[in-house]
Amino acid sequence: MKAVLRNSWRAALLPVAVILVAQIAATVTQLESDSLASPLAIVSAFFSILADGSLMRATQDTLMAAFCGCVLGVCAGSLLGVVLGLFRLADDLLDLTIELLRPVPVVALIPVVMMLLGFGARMEIVIIALGLLWPSVVLARAAVKDVEPRLMEVSAVLQLRFSARLTKIVLPAILPQLFMSLKLAAGYALVVAVTVEITANPFGLGYGIMMAQQALRPAEMFAYLIWIGAIGWLVSLMLDAVQRRFFPAFSRGETR
Amino acid sequence: MAMTQAILQAGRNEMAGSVLRADEPRIRIRDVTLSYGALQIIGGISIDIAPGESICVIGPSGCGKTTLLRMLAGLARPTSGAVELDGSVLGGPDRSVAIVFQDYGKALLPWRTAAGNVSLALEARGCPAKERPAIIRELLEKIGLGRHADKYPSEMSGGMQQRLQIARCLAQEPKVLLMDEPFGALDAMTRQALQDEVLSLVATTGATMVFVTHDLEEAIYLGDRIVCLQPNPGRVGRMVDVRLARPRDQLVTREDPEFLRLRRELYDLIKDDHQ
Amino acid sequence: MSHLSMRKLVLGILGLAAFILVWKAVTDAKLVSPIFFPSPERTWAALVKGLAGGPLLAQTVETIQRMLLGWLLASLVGIMLGALIGISRRARVFIAPTLELLRPLPASAMIPIAIAFLGFSDQMVLVVIAFGALWPMLLATIHGFSAMEPRLYEVSAVLGLNRLQVIWKLALPSALPMILASLRLGLTISLILAVVGEMLASREGLGQSILLASRSFRSADLFAGIVILGAIGLVGSRLLSMAERRLLRWQAAAR
Repeated sequence: MKAVLRNSWRAALLPVAVILVAQIAATVTQLESDSLASPLAIVSAFFSILADGSLMRATQDTLMAAFCGCVLGVCAGSLLGVVLGLFRLADDLLDLTIELLRPVPVVALIPVVMMLLGFGARMEIVIIALGLLWPSVVLARAAVKDVEPRLMEVSAVLQLRFSARLTKIVLPAILPQLFMSLKLAAGYALVVAVTVEITANPFGLGYGIMMAQQALRPAEMFAYLIWIGAIGWLVSLMLDAVQRRFFPAFSRGETR
Repeated sequence: MAMTQAILQAGRNEMAGSVLRADEPRIRIRDVTLSYGALQIIGGISIDIAPGESICVIGPSGCGKTTLLRMLAGLARPTSGAVELDGSVLGGPDRSVAIVFQDYGKALLPWRTAAGNVSLALEARGCPAKERPAIIRELLEKIGLGRHADKYPSEMSGGMQQRLQIARCLAQEPKVLLMDEPFGALDAMTRQALQDEVLSLVATTGATMVFVTHDLEEAIYLGDRIVCLQPNPGRVGRMVDVRLARPRDQLVTREDPEFLRLRRELYDLIKDDHQ
Repeated sequence: MSHLSMRKLVLGILGLAAFILVWKAVTDAKLVSPIFFPSPERTWAALVKGLAGGPLLAQTVETIQRMLLGWLLASLVGIMLGALIGISRRARVFIAPTLELLRPLPASAMIPIAIAFLGFSDQMVLVVIAFGALWPMLLATIHGFSAMEPRLYEVSAVLGLNRLQVIWKLALPSALPMILASLRLGLTISLILAVVGEMLASREGLGQSILLASRSFRSADLFAGIVILGAIGLVGSRLLSMAERRLLRWQAAAR
């Protein structure tokens, strides 16, 4: 217990010191800037965008788009990945094509999807889903190929039908990896969502931070930045907790 | 072969003679204790080890064998008392004291070849780059890895990896060679081959050896003297002199009545500790 | 080449051909308007024309330069800083938690901050790329250093290696697998941020080029740009994989 406490004050020392020094420097120099703001000004800006509802609206928009895109991309990708993992012919046929499509940076698709769907949530969801598609395919395919061969032999000996083999052997066996893939995807979905909003889409947290900058309100800009970081942190914390709860063995193996 | 052994024995006897004349021990363990908080691991050990002598340390698990060895290597500091090397107190690791760890897989650099691993010791003591290849070749030849200089540890068997670790220790040109259950993870045949290897290395280099093992026969076969430690806290239970002729031989020595008598004696000692 | 990989290659090419044929069939049947979605032939023609005499070649060079410069900067700073923090237990205890806290922050969220300081300039884009690619390398180096086999620290103590030798001969090589993986991730991030930066700040390069093509509905030029971006990503990661295999021969030997 004592060690935990000691470690947490050590961990907190650096951020606290940075904030204190920033506040002191801002007070002493009587900071007036288009790009910097004192910690106290950032806190008050945070409460004012919280009070007028713009922060919560933007958060909701971003999280909704990230969530839909994440579910869509991971489901589609995992499905394709499972099929490729089970059927070698399909895998060999599509391997080269996937290898060629995979390195296309997802942001390069923004103009294409924008042209097809215009601005809005739909466009953002599609881009997020496309961004998560290939990683999900690769992870699900690897997971299926990693299923203990002995289990596959068991299912052959029991003469399970294909659907039974899928639902009783393969899916349960790869569930922890699929969750792992979802966890990685959730973090990435948030990054893509913010990127799309900063680059093109006029809504959400990314747009909010961009507008704060354009309006030369640095305190508001930093408030958005810290909030975006906090959301990403909370999402990953939540998913870690879910993983520990449902796949304890797997998360232990991961931290090793 | 017989002739080289005769020469080795002559050298050995000469050294034994010098041991008798010198009153200065190579290592003096002076009333050493070691505690972690309230837990006493080692409670007052004193041993003098003469130059060229081979000491084997045995004892039940938890008796502080490995801890004692780590103090000799300077990797652990005694809570009280001191370890002296040639009359001066050992404050930390010293290049003239080499140690062979049991877990060879962790102690070798996986990204360096056999030659590269030996080279590390030469680099550490500032040996010029031009002289290294010849020394490395000689050491690897000596330890029987001459043909494997370019292999990575992951491509070698356990026995070969342990030979490599010994070669790296020899590259330190140590006065004292510490061995922490070095052959514990190896199969019986490899183990015997390496025991003979170590005997001949100690004989040719004249190094002082402290060898920790849990194998009674290994201790008798290798040692001039055997230190039996007792646990809770670790202390010297008994010192036994091994009066077996050198050079030793896996078959002849192990059938020597004195060998069998010693084995019996030590077995009873250890068994009592376990009860 | 073995029989197996031959089969893989032939089937792979067949699959790719099928993919292009489906693409062609979709556009020929006008399932999607050609204004939005060009046929493979038109994309190819735009690609050839753009690279042969058009602006595409210069834009490609520009984007690659930007990506590489930012990546190199991030690698240098990330590995050096990571080594400094990773080698000292005390520094790790104080600094690593803050870094972990900052990690989930999307690199693109730093763009407005970079704009606030540097305006819509090339330096701004470079800073954003370097900052975004820095994290994986910094964290991988710190983790690699702290994950070094403790036995090797003891070996270094017994052999009497000095601190610089420990970093150079033990810690860096043992962290190398993690560092190399992070270099590849960093390159991917660099390319993405280069494109984003060019789009936002209207800097010369493929990002700006595809954005302009989409605004004026030149879908063939847009797709040509995307094909090149994919090729850059592919070649970059392949080159780094090759370097990885060479540098990590000692790991391959274990398998």
